[in-house]
Amino acid sequence: MRYVVGYSANARGHDAVNLAVSLALGRGASLDLVLVVPEVQHSGHAIAPKAGFENLLNEQAQEWLDQALALVPSSVPAQAHIRSHDSDAHALIEAAEELGADMLIIGATSTGIFKRFTIGSVASALLHASTVPVALAPHGYYRKEALTRISCGLGTRAGAEKLLDFALGMASNRDVPLRVVSLLALDGGDATDSADAAREYAAKCLADALSAGGPEVSGEAKAEAQVEAKTEIVVAHGRSIEEAVDRLDWEDGEVLLIGSSRLAKGRSIFLGSTAGRILRALPVPMIVVPSGYELKQLNHSASSDTPREAQQ
Amino acid sequence: MSADHATPNPSHTGQHTGQNTGQNTGQQHGLSEKGLKAGSVGLIGAVVIGISCIAPAYTLTAALGPTVAEVGVQLPAIFLVGFVPMLLVAFGYRELNNAMPDAGTSFTWASRAFGPWIGWMGGWGLIAATIIVLSNLAAVAVDFFYLMLAQIFGNPELADLTTNLPLNIATTLVFIALACWISYRGMETTKSVQYVLVGFQLLVLAWFSIAAFSHVASGTAFDATAISSDWFNPFAVGSFSAFAAGVSLSIFIYWGWDVTLTMNEETKNPEKTPGRAATITVLVIVIIYMTVALATLSYAGVGDTGLGAGNPENQGSIFAVLAGPVMGPFAILMSLAILSSSAASLQSTFVSPARTLLSMGHYQALPQKFGRISPTYKSPSYATIASAVAAAAFYVITRTTSENALWDTITALGMMICFYYGITALACVWFFRAEAFSGARAFFFKFLAPLLGGVILLVMFFKTAYDSMDPAYGSGSSIGGVGLVFILGMGVILLGVVLMLVMAKLRPEFFRGRVLTRGH
Repeated sequence: MRYVVGYSANARGHDAVNLAVSLALGRGASLDLVLVVPEVQHSGHAIAPKAGFENLLNEQAQEWLDQALALVPSSVPAQAHIRSHDSDAHALIEAAEELGADMLIIGATSTGIFKRFTIGSVASALLHASTVPVALAPHGYYRKEALTRISCGLGTRAGAEKLLDFALGMASNRDVPLRVVSLLALDGGDATDSADAAREYAAKCLADALSAGGPEVSGEAKAEAQVEAKTEIVVAHGRSIEEAVDRLDWEDGEVLLIGSSRLAKGRSIFLGSTAGRILRALPVPMIVVPSGYELKQLNHSASSDTPREAQQ
Repeated sequence: MSADHATPNPSHTGQHTGQNTGQNTGQQHGLSEKGLKAGSVGLIGAVVIGISCIAPAYTLTAALGPTVAEVGVQLPAIFLVGFVPMLLVAFGYRELNNAMPDAGTSFTWASRAFGPWIGWMGGWGLIAATIIVLSNLAAVAVDFFYLMLAQIFGNPELADLTTNLPLNIATTLVFIALACWISYRGMETTKSVQYVLVGFQLLVLAWFSIAAFSHVASGTAFDATAISSDWFNPFAVGSFSAFAAGVSLSIFIYWGWDVTLTMNEETKNPEKTPGRAATITVLVIVIIYMTVALATLSYAGVGDTGLGAGNPENQGSIFAVLAGPVMGPFAILMSLAILSSSAASLQSTFVSPARTLLSMGHYQALPQKFGRISPTYKSPSYATIASAVAAAAFYVITRTTSENALWDTITALGMMICFYYGITALACVWFFRAEAFSGARAFFFKFLAPLLGGVILLVMFFKTAYDSMDPAYGSGSSIGGVGLVFILGMGVILLGVVLMLVMAKLRPEFFRGRVLTRGH
């Protein structure tokens, strides 16, 4: 397993490294810290050769990366890379593809004052183009221990089931409980009915995922039972999605998985409006999984034995 | 724990995974290795970068008037002659840049050749020149900003707003602050924007020339003057003083051209492209300068009244006055071309002093904070803001003390460029003295060309500095009976000496030659 971490020497970069360590610890993954420096252009008057500035910039970048590596505990293998590109997002996606990374981890922003998550421009660009899952660290994420629970946000639209396979794989690989979360925004009195319907739907999806993914996930009925026993379904509702998110209890060591919107092109990620609203209220990291990603993993496992996050 | 924290080559910058091919470019004499990606810029791209670094529309409007004031109708001759020392010095620049690519350029090279004190002053000259051009660029942009507003709304009074001192200073400071912010954020003009800006400038300048000549042909020119071969004779210039002043101004009009020579690594064909690009760039520039110079002289003459190019009123920014009568309603295109080129140049020029200051901070020749790079935007943070503050301060001082701030800043600028280019060229000669006679190529490029260029420029510098003590020099502003240009130019250099002595007290390591060592 390899995770690419988009690093910059500020609070946002630290958030990302902390989250990456949390994610890697339960999984034995290695980290690739990628610092993107801009491609230096020629300046106007009085030639300031770009090579010279590039040298200083690379020196500084190397220093920053050394500091970043020092943040990573010795139990997590980590490498540092400097990439030069005009677009941070583009460089990170390229690095993830080149290194065969299973996830991209970034700090969402460093200036979220009123909301926990305010997506920065890099994060937003990544969410529109990444072909691997993108993990977003909230502002001020400090935890460096393994995850304690995986939550999976389940929509009611088709395609959401695929996400469950990924979530199940992630939970069983890390041996942590899985919580299937259904978020409802309601303003009428039919709360109970809708909640029941959502719970029923979630249970059905989960059962499907367990029976379909079961043999692949564990290969043993025992493990399957273990996973099932550690799975719970929660329906949260509020007048808005944000309120529903607020009403749920969140563990410090929890992450929320959500699927990308079906507006996304091919296998890339597109953050839908609901996901965007969840993000704004969410106190824990969020991992956005591209729409075709699970499918790719399933095909992958049939033909090859390199294990990915989705199954093992 | 195994395989932990495997940072590839921590001691060698420029050799990180995915950064470059890691080719060793040979001896670097303690300077860090280059980290360029080969094969990105083609011939046209290189030419566009060269022309956009010169920003011909801005350069002409700023330099044409002051040069005419010095040399009159011999303007074309001086424009041609001025290119010679620039070319000679550029050869030296190229050699130094190949041997020691460094963001400090003149500062680093002169330090390596002549030691810390002259090196520091070379760096100071470069910074001062770019700071001065920043304030001039902002001022020109502001002039054309109001002129364009006047043209858009058909209200000539708007153009006069620029003569309102507090408003002019406030607007200029806003322009400087904006450009600084853009530069701090690390945003750079993209290639396609550069193509458009360059194309537009060339088009508008050609249009202006054709329009001016057709006015001459149809007898509607302000002061139709027949072109004579005498215009091309540099020896017809009245005095050596005028000649020196004219040459130091024409150094300014080619300033930026040499960038094409240093673009070896990033061109598609490093063997041929930089040389060809430099040749094409200079051909385009010389043709445009000649055409516009001839068109302006033919149309307006050098008389000192009305639209005449010799009228002191017009010399700060000649196109602001001439574009209207020559191009009629399309004069707004000229405003747009100059506004866009000076604004783009303003923003990209910020990079120059910022990088030199950064480099000086890095080598401990300035306080540590100048060496800071913004973690978020990866641009020289402190150095960029310091440049903006200095440019703003320079502008406020000039604007409030000079009768024609644009004119005087350009003249002082020409002087400053001669100063640091001269030092740099001689640094090249001295640095390569051991190899100077190792072959014909080395003799010419590392010795003869920079030696001649450097000596010419330093002679121009001292002559101009001496002449500028005359209170009538430049726009005719003076303080205490001494010409303002002299006070501006020498004041800046003296300030540099003072700061250098303070720095030598505060951080003596650099000045003891322990950071940047001399010689190979």
